[in-house]
This record gives sequence, structure tokens and C-alpha cells, in this order.
Amino acid sequence: MGRYIAGRLGQLVPVLFLISVIVFGVMHALPGDPAQLMLQGAEGGAPPERLEELREQMGLNDPLLVQYLRFAGSALVGDLGESIRFRTPVTELILERFGFTLQLALSGLVMAILIGLPLGMIAAMRQNSWVDTLAMSIAYAGASMPIFWFGLIMILLFSFNLGWLPPAGADGLESLVLPAVTLGFVSAGLISRLVRSSMIEVLGEDYIRTSRAKGLSERLVLWRHGLKNALIPVVTMIGLIFGGMLAGAVVTETVFSRPGVGRLVVAAILSKDYPLVQGCVLFLSVVYLSVNLAVDILYAWLDPRIRYAA
Amino acid sequence: MKRRDFALALGGAAAAIGTGTAFREASAQAPASGGNLVIVFPANQEPASLDGHIDPFQSTWLLNSFVADPLVVLDGDGQYKPALALSWESTPDGRSWTFKLRPNVTFQDGTPFNAAAVKYNVERILAPATSSKQLASDIGPVARIDLIDELTVRLNYDTPWVTLLDAIRRTPIWSPAAAERHGLQEFQRNLVGAGPFTLAEWVKNDRMVFRRWPGYGGWNAAATHQGPARLAQVTIRFIGENAVLNEAVRANAANIGFSLTPAAIEIYKGRSNFRFLSLGQAGTGLQQVMNIRRPPLNDLRVRQALLFARDSGAVNQLLFDGAYIASDGPLDNVHPCFWPGATEMYRTDLDRARRLLDDAGWRVVPGQPIRQARGVAGVADGTPLRVRWTTIHHREIGEALQAQYRRVGIDLQVEQVPGPIQLDRVNRRDFDLMFLRQRSPDPLILDQVWNSRWDRPGGWAWTGFADARLDEQLNQLRALPSADDRCTVARRAQQIIMENALTLPTLSQPVLIAQQMRVQDFKMGAEGNWFFLHSTWLQT
Repeated sequence: MGRYIAGRLGQLVPVLFLISVIVFGVMHALPGDPAQLMLQGAEGGAPPERLEELREQMGLNDPLLVQYLRFAGSALVGDLGESIRFRTPVTELILERFGFTLQLALSGLVMAILIGLPLGMIAAMRQNSWVDTLAMSIAYAGASMPIFWFGLIMILLFSFNLGWLPPAGADGLESLVLPAVTLGFVSAGLISRLVRSSMIEVLGEDYIRTSRAKGLSERLVLWRHGLKNALIPVVTMIGLIFGGMLAGAVVTETVFSRPGVGRLVVAAILSKDYPLVQGCVLFLSVVYLSVNLAVDILYAWLDPRIRYAA
Repeated sequence: MKRRDFALALGGAAAAIGTGTAFREASAQAPASGGNLVIVFPANQEPASLDGHIDPFQSTWLLNSFVADPLVVLDGDGQYKPALALSWESTPDGRSWTFKLRPNVTFQDGTPFNAAAVKYNVERILAPATSSKQLASDIGPVARIDLIDELTVRLNYDTPWVTLLDAIRRTPIWSPAAAERHGLQEFQRNLVGAGPFTLAEWVKNDRMVFRRWPGYGGWNAAATHQGPARLAQVTIRFIGENAVLNEAVRANAANIGFSLTPAAIEIYKGRSNFRFLSLGQAGTGLQQVMNIRRPPLNDLRVRQALLFARDSGAVNQLLFDGAYIASDGPLDNVHPCFWPGATEMYRTDLDRARRLLDDAGWRVVPGQPIRQARGVAGVADGTPLRVRWTTIHHREIGEALQAQYRRVGIDLQVEQVPGPIQLDRVNRRDFDLMFLRQRSPDPLILDQVWNSRWDRPGGWAWTGFADARLDEQLNQLRALPSADDRCTVARRAQQIIMENALTLPTLSQPVLIAQQMRVQDFKMGAEGNWFFLHSTWLQT
């Protein structure tokens, strides 16, 4: 297992290199000049001479290869450069916001599991009954609803009409409830469907029949023998969902006006802040790849039959 | 010789629902001390840097004004009034400005405020290391700063610099000791000025919290009382979703909603339990400048037809319930130097528009809604009359005009693009009608947009029009010291621009503000996007 993990970590380097080249190339190929965007988006309109000065200060007049090597060289030692727009180290900007993204993703994941797992189990145990139909209808509804729409409905109901919860911001646990439920409910639909199908398959296995024949209680059969094996593919799904939440909660962050890395990336793209886009994408890539690695390791722990070759 | 203040008569503000004054209802309650005023802003107005010396946005300078009083303020009546400077004057040629400073003022860290502090701030703005994106250009090419005495400072220029007051009123004066101690990067989180509040907290993309500074002496003419601010705290929340922004005041999630979207009109207008303000912003309005380098807009008759065929008043009623402000020329109707002739010059006249198009060779074809070219130079016969409207927001204005233009046989193709795409099209001069907006009460914006010397990368002169007579008028805007003379020249320039039909003005976007009635003594500046909280309080 140790060699497997080391091998996977080693794979990160070429993957990240490829990602950095692609992001750098795409950002520079897109129309727009960050200096011009900054000046011509300003209130009064600075004179054109200022544009050249700013481009020089930002290092935008250097050859593309020089700009890329400058970025890549410092990224290797953990320095993701300085944001053109914020005049602040990219690492600092990301770390300021990553805590909020992590908070949202974790709470969203917890909600997704709390809703999706029981829903899927109930549907599997009452297969083909009205309970199954109802549970899966809820699951499909959750999986089909656009996050931004569902989020606005939640705000309308629980903030503006009932006044129970704040509609926006990141001020305390209260402000986390609505975004977590929004994010979680949409993902719960995916989890519940997978739990249902996985449970149905497991509950049809011979060893389940044997354990019932041995006289074990239904609770023991379901929880010790059924669920644990049914969870194996579900764990993979949960890992992917979590990685996706970390990397792409921008819609939820925007609807609920929460700080986060997603919103930071979008703003960086629109202002063509090259170092910030590159730094954020690299960071999120590392996060996503790390989550995938953790899921694979957990997978092996859950199922002793799984053994990875280095 | 003492200079006359640059008087700004905001006729548009009178046409708006609110006026540029302090808002207070008749109340039996005496002004209360304390409370937390919550204001919601659109998320895109959150500064990247909170140091106004660096960041180029109006919202940054507004937020800075909570922490740092400037030397002068532009109050609600459009007059420059004393703040940290008691008086000021310039030489007749505008090459030298002398400020006499207020005595007995200290910064929030105890550093004394004096002429050396002002010199430090100006030099900091102009320093290359600061990389000031706007204020450095606005302050101008200062040649030398003289410290006449402890409380008198003089800025000297080699060329006339007549617009200094407009820059100075936006310039935060920071404590030199604090700025030096924290450095350029960290200072934005540790702002120290001589304003009524201190910056207590800034959670990026979420909120800013300002707390009352007990040591504030009320040294600002915008304040209606002496001494520290009445509010204990001001919380600014940045809201990314427009629906939430607009509803925040009604849902009691905020006391004031600032810079709301047009959808807020329906929510608040006419409701007795809220105060709803629609305040003008002097500038160019939302206009579409015309690319006269290529057909069809290389023909003056076609350009004039576009102006005669539009009915902006109808668009205003249809889309915004009349809440937007008229903008009939290169400067909008609330600008102090607006040329009134622009309103009369192109009153809606569909028959005239049709005649102009006929004369220009764009003929009606039986059975076809859109005119086609017949003998138009550089255009193949049978080419439909298509004009592309490119904008970065307010797409709905173009769509409303699309229907109007169809009546005279013009196919207006509306597209909304992000900022980088807009600038790319501008750089390649690949557009017909391109969105442009500048906001400033100073007519110098006409020079930036219409002087042919700015027809170059990074410049704002996009149309391709070059005229010595127009350039001559515009060049005077940087040199004439008298405000009245500058307005006279600006009006002549606007006349030339409209005679040549170089721009399609539509409307001017007001700043929409909703307030709970318990907010008292909230004072607006001369511009809709500026306000003062020095004497604001919350009724209990």
C-alpha cells in the first residue's frame, strides 16, 4: 500500500504540470488584457500612457515563456505569485477563502449523507412499494433541481418569509444552514439512488440469506452485513461529490453570498488575473486529486479483497 | 485670489425621487447614540484593495471616507466644502494650489495631521511602487510640493491642472506613520485615517465592519453635529445575488440597500414604510458610441436615422417604470455641463428617420421588414440594414430599441459580452454600436472619449471621428480655470458631437437606494453613489 500511495503522489507532478500549461495557454489565448480591464473598468478612465506603465509593472510585456517559467519556478517552491488585481500573494488569497469552502463542502456532504443514506436504505428495504416510489421521487427531485433555483427558494421561504435564517453571509453557524441544505439536498439524490441499487444487490446475496437463516436479527443483517458491503461503491461516489463540492461550489457561494475559492476563481477569470487563475486551478487540482487518492485508500480499507499494486 | 467652487446644479436630482440632502422624518426622538447600521452593497462593488491610493473604484473611496476624511468634500448641493482643509485657492492659470489645513486634528493612531502628512499622501499616490491605477492620473503631474508652514501646503504643476478638487475630494488622507509601519500590502487591512470610524474587520467576499472612533472631532462640513459619529458600528455586507440584494431591506436583513437593481423599483416604490431614492450620477449615461469607419454607420444620414427613430422615454417607462434618468447627449441630463440642445436636436421622428434612410440608399423592399442597400457605396445591393449593438449590461435597453428600429426597417442585433470581449472588440475596432459609460461631474470625460488623440490602445476614443474643431474645444477643458468657461466649451463640444451623430445616448442609470424609515440623517453627496454617515443614527 505504501508503494501504491507513493506512486500515486508521484503521478501528481506531471498531471499538475499539464494542468498549469493548459490553464496558462487558455488564459493568454482568451481576449482581454488585465491592465486594460483594470484601467478601462475604472471610474474616470486613466490616460493610455498609464496602460503601458501598468503592463510593464505587471510583467505582461515579457515573452510568454518567461512569464510561464516565472510562475512555474516559484510554484515549485509553493509561491503561487501575486494577484494582479489584489496585489496580494495568491496563496494568501486562497487560504483566506478555503476555510469557508471547506466548511460549506463538509456541511453539504454531511447533509447529503444524512438525507441520502436513509432514503436509499428505506427504498431498498421497501423495494417496489409506495415507500420506494416516494423515496426515489424525492431523490430524483433533488438531483434534477438546479442549485441556484433551489437556493433562492430556500432563501425566499426561510429567510424572507419566515425570517428564521439569514439569507446571506458567512457569519456564524446559522448562516451555514441554508447553503448546506441546498448543496446537500441536490447531492443526496445521487447518493440515495446508488445506496438503493447497491443495497438491493447486496441483500440478494447468499451470505445475507445465510445470516437470516442463522437467526440473526434483521437489524444486524442490514447494518453489519448489508450496509457495510453496499457502501463500497457509495464511498467512491461520496468522495467524488466531496471533491466536486470543494472545487465547484461557486454557484452556492454566489447565491448565498459566501466567501469561497469558487467565487475567487470566477472573479479572477473575468478580470484576467493570470497568477490568481493559475494558482487557484493548481490548488483545486491538488485538492481534488488528493480527495480521489484518499477515496481509493479508504476503498481498500473497507474491502480487504482489494489490493493495489504499486 | 480665492477660486469659486465648481458649482454643480443637479437638475436631475430634482427629477428623481430623493434629493441630495440629509433624510430625516419629523421625529419626536432626539438623535440617539449607538446601534449597528447594516448596509448591503452589490458584491461587485467590493474593492480588491481597500487602499484608495491603489484601487481605482468609487466604492473604494466611499468606504475609505468612513475611515479617512479627505481635505475637501463635495456635499449634497454640489459645493466643495471644508473637511481637513479649511480653505484652498489656486493661481489663475491653475498651476499652483494652496491648501490651508485644519488645526488640532490627529489621526486615529495619535499621529498629528499637518502639511507634511498631506505631502506624504500625495507622494505615496504618485510613487511608482504604489502603482496607483486612478488617483495618480487624477492628482496629476505634480512637479513640486511646498510646505509653506505647519498647516499650509502647496502643490505646483508645470501645466495647468484645473480638476484637482475633484480628485482631492476622493483622496483618503492616511496616517503616514501607519502607512509606513504596515507597508503597501498590509495597510489595507490596517487603515488609519482621521475619519469617524475605524476598520474593525474585513472578511473578504462577506462583510466589512467599521466601529466608531471616539476621538473624532467632527472636522467635516458634511456632519450636522460636532464630535464623534452617532452610530456605534456600520456593517457593510456584499451580496452576490441580485434578488437577495433587492429584498434585504424589506426582509429586515439590512437597514439600507445601496445600488440596487431595477427590479427593486417594483419592491419599494410607493411603499410608505420604506424610503426609496433614485439619484442621478453625472457622466456620459449609458450610451452606444458609433463606429464610423465602416458601413452602415459611415454615413451621417444612417446615424441620424438611428437617433430620430429611438424613443428613450418609452424605453424608460417600459423597462424601469420611469425611474431611470434621461440622457439625450454625450453628457447625461443631470450633468452640470449638459447641453440642453441635445434634447431638441433628435426628438423622435419616424418619418424623418425613414427619409434619411431612403436618401442614404437603404430602401424598403416589398414584403421584407428590413431595408436593403441600393447603390450604397461599399455595400453590395440587397444587403440588409443590420446594426450590431454590443453591450456589457443593460441588454434589455437594446432589446426594447430593437422593436423600435424595426418600425423603420433597421435590424438591430443585440449582444451582451463580458468585459474582456468588449475590450477586444474595441481594440480591433470590430463593432457598430459599442457600450460606453463614464461617471464624473467633471466635463473632462468629454476629452477622454472624443478627443482624437485618444484614438489609440488604452484610449477611450473609439469612433474613428477626427475633427480639428472638436479637438480644439476639448483641449481647452484641461486648461481653462473657470468652471463656467469649461462648461461653455463642453457644451460647444457636445453640439459638434451631436451634429455629427457620433453617439446613441439612451438613459442614465440612477443609483437606487432603499432605506428603512428608522434610518435618520443619512446624508447623500452630490453624486448618487456617495453618502456620509457622520451624523446618521437609528431610531429605536
